[in-house]
Amino acid sequence: MTMKIHPVLIEIFKNRFSSIAEEMGVTLNRTAFSPNIKERRDFSCAIFDGKGRMIAQAAHIPVHLGSMPLSVEAAIEGADFEEGDMVILNDPFKGGTHLPDITIVAPVFAEGAVPSFYVANRAHHADVGGMASGSMPLSTSIFQEGIIIPPLKIVERGDIDWKLMNFFLNNVRTPDEREGDFAAQIMANRTGIARMKELISTYGIDTASFYARSLMDYGERLIRSAIRRIPDGVYSFEDFLDDDGAGEQDIRIRVKITVRGSEATLDFSESHDQVPGSVNAVYSITLSAVLYVFRALVKEEIPANAGCLRPIKVVTRKGTVVDAQFPAAVAGGNVETSQRIVDVVLGALAAALPGEIPAASQGTMNNVAVGGFDAVSGRVFAYYETIAGGMGATARSNGESAVHSHMTNTLNTPVEALEYTYPVRVREYSIRRGTGGKGVFQGGDGVVREIQLLSDAEVTVLSDRRRTAPYGLAGGEPGAVGKNVIISSGVRREKGSKFHEKLKKDDVIRIETPGGGGYGPATPHRSTPHDRSNLSS
Amino acid sequence: MIFIGVDTGGTFTDFIYRDGGEWGVYKLLSTPSDPAAAVLAGIRHIAGSGHVHIVHGSTVATNAILERKGAVTALVTNRGFEDVIELGRQYRGSLYDLAYRKAPHIVPHDLRFGIECRVIPDGTVLEGMNDESAARVARQVADSGSESVAVCFLFSFVNPGHETRMGELLERLGMQVSLSHQILGEFREFERTSTTVVNAYVAPRMKGYLSNLLDSLDEKDRLSIMQSNGGSISAHAAMREPVRTILSGPAGGVVGAFEAGRMSGFTKLITFDMGGTSTDVSLLDGAVSLTFESSIGGYPVKVPMIDIHTVGAGGGSVAFLDAGGALRVGPESAGADPGPICYGRGTRITVTDANLYLGRLVPEYFLGGQMRLHPERLEPVFRKMSAAAELSPRELAEGILSVVNSSMEKALRVISIERGHNPQEFTLLSFGGAGGMHAAFLARLLGIPRVVVPRHAGILSAMGMLIADIVKDYSRTVMLRDSRPTDTNLEELFGLMETRAWNDLDDEGVRREAVFFQRSLDMRYRGQSYEITVPFAPGYVEEFHRLHERMYGYGSPERPVEIVNVRLRAGGAREGIESDVQEKVSTRPDARVFQIGRPVVFDSKVHDTRIVDRSALRAGDRIAGPALVVEYSSTVVVPPFAKATVDGCGNLLMDIA
Repeated sequence: MTMKIHPVLIEIFKNRFSSIAEEMGVTLNRTAFSPNIKERRDFSCAIFDGKGRMIAQAAHIPVHLGSMPLSVEAAIEGADFEEGDMVILNDPFKGGTHLPDITIVAPVFAEGAVPSFYVANRAHHADVGGMASGSMPLSTSIFQEGIIIPPLKIVERGDIDWKLMNFFLNNVRTPDEREGDFAAQIMANRTGIARMKELISTYGIDTASFYARSLMDYGERLIRSAIRRIPDGVYSFEDFLDDDGAGEQDIRIRVKITVRGSEATLDFSESHDQVPGSVNAVYSITLSAVLYVFRALVKEEIPANAGCLRPIKVVTRKGTVVDAQFPAAVAGGNVETSQRIVDVVLGALAAALPGEIPAASQGTMNNVAVGGFDAVSGRVFAYYETIAGGMGATARSNGESAVHSHMTNTLNTPVEALEYTYPVRVREYSIRRGTGGKGVFQGGDGVVREIQLLSDAEVTVLSDRRRTAPYGLAGGEPGAVGKNVIISSGVRREKGSKFHEKLKKDDVIRIETPGGGGYGPATPHRSTPHDRSNLSS
Repeated sequence: MIFIGVDTGGTFTDFIYRDGGEWGVYKLLSTPSDPAAAVLAGIRHIAGSGHVHIVHGSTVATNAILERKGAVTALVTNRGFEDVIELGRQYRGSLYDLAYRKAPHIVPHDLRFGIECRVIPDGTVLEGMNDESAARVARQVADSGSESVAVCFLFSFVNPGHETRMGELLERLGMQVSLSHQILGEFREFERTSTTVVNAYVAPRMKGYLSNLLDSLDEKDRLSIMQSNGGSISAHAAMREPVRTILSGPAGGVVGAFEAGRMSGFTKLITFDMGGTSTDVSLLDGAVSLTFESSIGGYPVKVPMIDIHTVGAGGGSVAFLDAGGALRVGPESAGADPGPICYGRGTRITVTDANLYLGRLVPEYFLGGQMRLHPERLEPVFRKMSAAAELSPRELAEGILSVVNSSMEKALRVISIERGHNPQEFTLLSFGGAGGMHAAFLARLLGIPRVVVPRHAGILSAMGMLIADIVKDYSRTVMLRDSRPTDTNLEELFGLMETRAWNDLDDEGVRREAVFFQRSLDMRYRGQSYEITVPFAPGYVEEFHRLHERMYGYGSPERPVEIVNVRLRAGGAREGIESDVQEKVSTRPDARVFQIGRPVVFDSKVHDTRIVDRSALRAGDRIAGPALVVEYSSTVVVPPFAKATVDGCGNLLMDIA
């Protein structure tokens, strides 16, 4: 079929596809039970064409950008979809990211027996079993991290498969919440299907499919125009994760970016081999981080879709921390390693686009999971939160303080909501003044969050940038590293980046998050050599 | 007594008044640097030395926030939580902006004062407030140079003791104080603090403005202020809680629109107010709908407001082709300066230019012919841009309108379909300068069968203010978690609120027999984070399941529910105002009829189109599309697929085929 792209229709379809994805998100957000989904909005909704290529994703969480398509691909493979079916999965080695991220994929039938489109949503559940409450453990194998769900039909012709559902619910700590979250996810997909069918009946399947494809070309053109602004050349950068929580330290992430015209190749082959601890990232996470950076280089509002990745080649070596292989532990790859991948890609581009790239932001999500048995309510609880920090300064302004940066953008849980629901008391929630790196422009400050336990509980902290600081740029100083502290009976113990510990009632966890890097030399008229020895372009 | 509604929102300050049996309207150029000047001049013109009761939609609070010209404001809160106001919800408003910055903080770091004291969720005082420290902090605040102070402690809505004590100390030192449990007695400390701080920030400005107005009025005159919730309150109450007035003007518009729709027999309405830079839409299902999740200038304000959804698209929105070849419109606006190309100075094509290019605006009648348009400036610019887009200039102009309509359609879908309402059951009520040119097309996009364009659309907001009830809203977080809390328990809670409401309404001068109460509950499934507001009546739990299903597609009757907040809306009908406003207002005398055939483009074809003078229309007149109905400040496009009639109260009704 030949059709001419109409500049008006393409804009209208762009609006419609993205508002469908957004509306799916509203349903999911407002009806879910996991704090991760309802308060923190750690979820994504997207629409795909009949070949599983992403057309539009609502702007929820960047870490899902490149990885949703692989989930859909895995769901489609071998699934004999019928009207009303939905496939569930979380297997990181079959299209997932880490086990708490559960994806549900549904077909949209327009004509014939083959789906014309798919809708999908992914949400971070507060617990999927495994060795630690909150399922973000310091593990050394995927089998410790929770229940692994290969692509399976959870809904068949409109009916939930209760055998499968109950099997799953028996393997998690807070089954009531999970069931509520699934209801929200299934309904979000139904909303998406209904709206897609409306769209198809208005414009016809041929036009809808044509503009789905055109939007990918459109995304590609915009990314190409962004890459064209980068001077041709080779740009390298490396940075490190503190450790993997299982004894391995200074885990290197290295990128070599080759830019030729409107295309870029990012080679991560020289990154560290995969490690025993849980900071391994599967390939789709690396893809997401790269797509995030290039999407951020485009100043205009554009849909994040399959076309955006066409001019970009991401090369990895299998069995590294940026392309982990089964049965690696991966819980933290999604949240911590993804941030460092962004740091190195931006670090490399800083040499190519001077003045346009900010200094490093906090570079961690500061994951804190608390779980146990609440004697007062008589219920098992599992709570999980991530804590903001400083953003890196830019060539034109200070970095923002106390916000989530790069690969995440989740909300905090209000102190009053937290204390109503869980046996904890917040003792301090403040900005960690003076932690942003100094410079002509200062990095943003980190955060202090101090939580007292009101019942015995196990605590897992997965964080980074406790030893290697977020870099400054153009002579700016690095941001302050973060700190994790436990206070029991008045005694303070400083912990490492990653720890798991059984704590007693009244014990206190204090998390101090990193500041962002500064930009430009702090003292005027005194030029300093380039700020980081690891800049090796 | 002369009753006067005054809206200072726009270029003009609009007055609508009732003097005995006589109704009238009056307009004056606004005086932005001193809004009171135009208000007082208008009142004097209308009433002379007679006594007046004024209901005023004030933009003082709104502008103080948006222009950041509020008072130097301090905050007193729990030690260790001074930064909650700056931390917010820790997310960035723009996902891909590497240089993202938050809105600047209203309370700078050195004006946040922490004090050791703590209440826990059940209201128990875990740590008391030491008298000496409290007095010391109060003194520090008074010495800090602050003009106003907000006090917000954790769980103060359960146990307000510390806030009340701190408030007394500060007031004794002459400070103007806003206490969080009084402004917004609901959980979620950031949103409550933000609402309280915004109140404190605008309170001195509002007090200054209203005191000044009151000084210029006689003691027997009365001054009321329109609130964002669609009701009015006395000027004295507005000085204490100005945060309740920040959507004053738009709220008046929606109340006026509801009244106009009701007069034509429609109570299921979607209002559509398209202006120069933005468009406001609101859904009314038999009554105004309220939201508890608003924000202004980046600061959350959670007091009840009429649920108005705003989209950055209007007559001045600029069209451009982006790097990917798509035609985009807005959110950038040409504003008043340079304005659209056809105003004489602009260089980039706007929505207004596209309407003019297609013949849908008639230069001779634009603002009654008082402002000259320059259609001749359009051709070269349209030619140039259409060549780049590989379209004909006409296709480009229609394309611009399609794109802007699609963003407004999106806004209408958000307030209807996304919230479980079928737009096909509603009537689109269009007002605002640019609305009439787009309403029929939007109605067609959403399958809305009918459009109403009220007579006097330009003074709808002032009219809404004049007829608004006196309304006070009360709320409190109770967090009742038993699956079926005893109704006696709730009765007690409502009883306490109603006692307070009786007193407040008495102060407002409402007669006891005119008082009405609406009780409702904010409910959710235990474990969720978003509440649905359900009327408190027998069967409210079942009603919650039903509403959850309507909004989100499913209900779970087996799940325990919890009651998060109890709400009371208390009010009294305005005395001396019958709701026959519209019929009684006299029309402009110099009616003119135009029957000129004019070329106007619809669906890429030129149609011979009639031009009709709105002021000459009489009840029962019928106008088949295509036609343009022109009036002083707006044009209604009746496309070929629509038919219009004029009903008994002068409203234009368009049926959409």
